[in-house]
Amino acid sequence: MMPIPSPIEADTDSRREFLRNILAGTATATVLMVFGPGAMALSDPTRRTKNKAKHQFAYVININNCIGCGNCVRACNKENNVPASVFRTWVERYVVTDEGVYVESPNGGLKGFEAVNKKLRQNFKKSFTVPKMCNHCEDPPCVQVCPVGATFKTEEGFVLVDHAHCLGCAYCVQACPYAARYIDPIKHVSDKCDWCYHRVKNGKLPACVTVCPNKARLFGDLKDPESEVTKIFKEDQWMVLKPHMHTDPTCFYIGLPREVV
Amino acid sequence: MSGPSSTSHLYRLGIVLVAFFVAAVLVGWWAVPSSWNFDVDHWYRKDALIDNAQKPMVYGGNESCKDCHEPAMKKLAKFKHRALSCESCHGPVADHVRGNKKFAAAKVDKSRWQCENCHQEQINRPKDFPQFSKTGDIGKFVKKHNLLEKKTLCLECHNAHDPTN
Amino acid sequence: MELPGDALVNFIFPNNAKVWWSVMIVLYPYLTGLMAGAFVVSALSHVFKIKEFKPIANFALIAAFCFGLFAATPLLVHLGQPQRAYEIYVTPHLTSAMSIFGYFYSGYLVLLMIEIWLIYRPYFTRMANQTKGFMGFIWYLLTLGQLEYNPASAKVDQKIIAVLAGIGIPWASVLHGYVGFVFGSVKAVAWWATALQPFIFLSSAIVSGMAVLFLMYTFIRWRQRQAYDFAMVRKYMAFLWGIFILDYALEVIELAFVVYERGYHWSLIEPLLKGPLFDSYAIMQMGILSVTPLLILGYVVLSNISGRMMIHMANFGSLILLLQVLFMRFNVVVGGQLISKSERGFVDFEWEILAKEGILTAIVLFVAPFVTYYIISRFIPIFDDPAAGKEGS
Ligand code: HEC
Ligand code: HEC
Ligand code: HEC
Repeated sequence: MMPIPSPIEADTDSRREFLRNILAGTATATVLMVFGPGAMALSDPTRRTKNKAKHQFAYVININNCIGCGNCVRACNKENNVPASVFRTWVERYVVTDEGVYVESPNGGLKGFEAVNKKLRQNFKKSFTVPKMCNHCEDPPCVQVCPVGATFKTEEGFVLVDHAHCLGCAYCVQACPYAARYIDPIKHVSDKCDWCYHRVKNGKLPACVTVCPNKARLFGDLKDPESEVTKIFKEDQWMVLKPHMHTDPTCFYIGLPREVV
Repeated sequence: MSGPSSTSHLYRLGIVLVAFFVAAVLVGWWAVPSSWNFDVDHWYRKDALIDNAQKPMVYGGNESCKDCHEPAMKKLAKFKHRALSCESCHGPVADHVRGNKKFAAAKVDKSRWQCENCHQEQINRPKDFPQFSKTGDIGKFVKKHNLLEKKTLCLECHNAHDPTN
Repeated sequence: MELPGDALVNFIFPNNAKVWWSVMIVLYPYLTGLMAGAFVVSALSHVFKIKEFKPIANFALIAAFCFGLFAATPLLVHLGQPQRAYEIYVTPHLTSAMSIFGYFYSGYLVLLMIEIWLIYRPYFTRMANQTKGFMGFIWYLLTLGQLEYNPASAKVDQKIIAVLAGIGIPWASVLHGYVGFVFGSVKAVAWWATALQPFIFLSSAIVSGMAVLFLMYTFIRWRQRQAYDFAMVRKYMAFLWGIFILDYALEVIELAFVVYERGYHWSLIEPLLKGPLFDSYAIMQMGILSVTPLLILGYVVLSNISGRMMIHMANFGSLILLLQVLFMRFNVVVGGQLISKSERGFVDFEWEILAKEGILTAIVLFVAPFVTYYIISRFIPIFDDPAAGKEGS
């Protein structure tokens, strides 16, 4: 079992330090906001592996391997108790034809897909299934906009939700370019894929990765030179979703066709 | 001139405002979560890490079956389905085992859907993935399948663990 | 209906099936705008010394306060965990546009309260001196225990009021600009993401605030059978007309810009404006609801029409403007979310009536400021000089 970072007790020292921080820190923060951690850091390919954290997790989705069975969606729903109308992960099927693109994700791909009908099959050019989920961006818009810091990026790369602190305002839902977030219709707080933080902290893989039959989903530590994701990351043949959003996702896609948004 | 000065009411207002402000700051101070991470780049409640990590696990992975199903696992390791997750067919371990003891049957869906979910021929599947069709234009053509009726179960001929058999 | 992104079916992301920000978030910038707009009228008198507006300066201020009191309530209703709303204030956090809005908004309310207090201090002291019993105590509290009001202090107060109003103008602008910023800075929603958003929100806020104030003014005058101040009305309409021209120009520029740019934004917005938003945006907001008041107010301002007819036309124009801004808020807030982030389809917006965030709640919250105004006007004189002797309302 991996150690869980222990919370720092709120002693008087840290409070006093905060006072100092808020005086100096507010100024720093404003400067940071204006000039941004942006341009420099973004162009630095090693920024993911350079930080002090012991692990730097990353996710890889290989479109060439995905068979569209929906095991991942089912496992995710059970593992995380996801309510029926929303999805932490979902699978889309694209059928590219001469006329345009058919895209569907019936119930998030929960029950897989029906075989496409004959008419579509006659003039189709290609077809594939694409699993989607939270991209755990390096520069997450959801974290930026949260008014109470209830969603945040850990040093190890997880973007998590603090359910006990979240207001349920849905600003993060708006800010996410990938529609990975939702307001839990039962708990009334924001939620999304957390790479199964509770599993990873206990030395397991995320549920979706565990049940994937064809290695379409991989998860690993970029700081471990032997892990599959490290090799894929080094090979540099991956793509990310909506790169123009400059969110710098840590969810890498292999073989991502250009039709995918 | 006798009476109050022309600004005395402003001092009073000032006192009220300052008192209000101090009260607000104190209440705010008290209400800040005790494990708050005071870092200009990373604002969050550190205890949230613990909260998030405490969710119970439902899926255990294939290694979780090992302790009790060693023989079955050993056999399975030789078959074509070796890479599959047991739990994708049998359901999560948490529905089957609690505290190192079986408490409910590991259900398995023996319907055709169970196999077709992965093996029905679909144009969206990778070409090299084994798909079984009646037409053979995408998947592998299996002559025997032509004789099948709609309701015939795959398991009547196949073994789920050793499907080639 | 043409779909964006070459799609042959209306594909929306599974999590986009619902419009997360609905009627409540339409109402929130609307009420905030009414507050900011009404304040501008009082500032025009206090700071820019437009003498025609002096009689309605206090009225405008009180109205702004009433709208301000309720401006954040739709947000509160919208929250999934409203009991945690205070966290916005106490959680140390500097990167969220919405949390900064919280500070601006409450600071602005405090500023309004101080200004109102200074203006009504002579009245409070007089009432405290005259009244006994429980009400007397309340009046006493409102004077902060200072039961004397002398000319020297009045002079000081006048100066401070002018200064506060002076601060109030940029503050109101920033406040409402901020509301626009909250939307404009969301890059994930193409229809929101424009740098003009804060300015459009600001100018439309002033328009809606002035329009609602005018309707309240004529209604109160009519109920109390008092004469209308025609000189004021003409001047008021000139301002309203002018600011609306600015507002409309900004809205047209924003649209024209994306149309001409033919970039990423237009690829998503074109199907939206030609599809689900055609009626409420093209026909209503940019068409009927804008052209009509432009013509009507233009006529009121430029012609020498007067008397009842002018009041009727001005009222009609103001009402349409109020609607125009409401449509604008709706088209921005809900319209933006109609484009699914899949960029291949449109979300269906469903009107809710009785739900928590339904129309009924919206109506209650919208009426609440007016009720509050009515209650306040029972206790303090609104159109009369607070320093003068007679009580009125
Ligand atoms: C493709 C789906 C599938 C997978 C993957 C699978 N099983 Fe099974 N398993 C079945 C089916 C179907 C049955 C029932 C067979 C029957 O009744 O004919 C079964 C039966 C069993 C049984 C009952 C005893 C027996 O051997 O007949 C055990 C134990 C079992 N599986 C263990 C496992 C373990 C352990 C794994 C993972 C290594 C696993 N299974 C993976 C489908 C699967
Ligand atoms: C704590 C030990 C334990 C673990 C761990 C465990 N099982 Fe079992 N399982 C049992 C026992 C005991 C039986 C009953 C055996 C029998 O009747 O022969 C059983 C039976 C089964 C059966 C047959 C149907 C039934 O319920 O009688 C299947 C299938 C099965 N297990 C699958 C799994 C899979 C898949 C896993 C891993 C995810 C797993 N089990 C993990 C103890 C365990
Ligand atoms: C979770 C997905 C999944 C399910 C469910 C599944 N399989 Fe498989 N099956 C696979 C994978 C993966 C392979 C291995 C493919 C390979 O190695 O090329 C495979 C291989 C096979 C093969 C060998 C194909 C060949 O010629 O190489 C057969 C036969 C087969 N499965 C039959 C079945 C039957 C019958 C069922 C229903 C009990 C079933 N499968 C359920 C994923 C699945």
